[in-house]
Amino acid sequence: MGILTELKSSISRAASTLFSAEDPKRIGIYGPPNAGKTTLANRIARDWTEHGDAVGPESEIPHETRRARRKENVEIERNGKTVDIDIVDTPGVTTKVDYTEFLEHDMEEDDAVRRSREATEGVAEAMHWLREDVDGVIYVLDSATDPFTQVNTMLIGIIESQDLPVLILANKIDLEESSVQRIRNAFPQHETVQVSALEGDNMDEVYDKIAEYFG
Amino acid sequence: MPHQCTDCGRTFDDGSKEMLSGCPDCGGNKFQFRPGGVDSADPDPDAEPPEPPEPATDGVTRAVGSAATAVRDLVSPDPAEPDPEADPSDGATSPGQAGSTPSPADTAPEDAAQASARADVVPMEELPSDTPEPADEDHTPTPDEHDETTRHGETTTTDEREDRPDLADLREELNDQFESIRVLEPGQYELNLMELYDREEYIIALQEDGKYTIQVPERWKDG
Repeated sequence: MGILTELKSSISRAASTLFSAEDPKRIGIYGPPNAGKTTLANRIARDWTEHGDAVGPESEIPHETRRARRKENVEIERNGKTVDIDIVDTPGVTTKVDYTEFLEHDMEEDDAVRRSREATEGVAEAMHWLREDVDGVIYVLDSATDPFTQVNTMLIGIIESQDLPVLILANKIDLEESSVQRIRNAFPQHETVQVSALEGDNMDEVYDKIAEYFG
Repeated sequence: MPHQCTDCGRTFDDGSKEMLSGCPDCGGNKFQFRPGGVDSADPDPDAEPPEPPEPATDGVTRAVGSAATAVRDLVSPDPAEPDPEADPSDGATSPGQAGSTPSPADTAPEDAAQASARADVVPMEELPSDTPEPADEDHTPTPDEHDETTRHGETTTTDEREDRPDLADLREELNDQFESIRVLEPGQYELNLMELYDREEYIIALQEDGKYTIQVPERWKDG
């Protein structure tokens, strides 16, 4: 009886090690609003999942993503190996949400106020995920805007303090005002990969780095 | 080169006054601080990418520290303003105190650099002599009292330094400012990211009267 119990527990121990090794890593896509996080998530899903379903709707109006959305078991093949990850597209993180910003996009006041409230809940959710539920971070920045912001500095600081692997993407390199160097200057301690998630430019390097960082 | 313009890359010495009114070359007004010893990370992205997968522990701490400093600079209304509590003891060294208390400059090289930068820019003798000294008017502090305040002040600082210095300071400062979510008016919110990150319970819905619906961690329910 004793031997049997021991055997059973040793098998279950072996099985749990086996499964934990195979468990896909959960990678959070973080960044400020309108950096192109959902566009990137959709691009990855389209490139690597069978049906290529979108993770979420993309929009030029900030805070389109107001709930974290997960795409599970995305298998990325690199150099004959397969990297299995879950991607979590998170709401854009910011310190201020103001409904009047949405009124400029021809939105009714009621809708704008509701969007604003949901966006705020979304930031709370994103911060909560960062605390407990991600194994790595893809930090997306719009390379046409200034990366030296309170939000970026704070988030990168939190990610570093958690010792999470982080890959910084300088997105929107298709825009004329784009400056990848400015992002490299802002976070010299991390590697920055340039990309246009919208156009699909340089996605190969992004996948190489995803495999390298999170594989 | 401790300071670098983030736009054109021009560098400035520690404590340089040149950049006080913007970069002389490009007019940029954002500079990054690179303490001595980090120079090896001089970014030449094409040449050799850094190796982030194995960041040294001190690298992480330093990064968080510098992140926190940057944020604090953004947050505090007037960073150049000297700490009023520290002031009275700085000029006149009270008897029996000299040499007994470790000066902040001893704690870390960065502190020394900052201290020297401060000293270079605003030497004590240049400070206006008519700085408010309310104590002189109605109550002159005895040396004992001086010691008390100074010691008290320094003890606190030292304790915070030992325990994840800048992140702790930053957290406290932000928490003092406002709670995790402040409703200015319906549809307008200010968020305290550190507080949101720190709290175990998870805010799932907001109400306009400022109340939240939260989800508490499983283990709280066990009782």
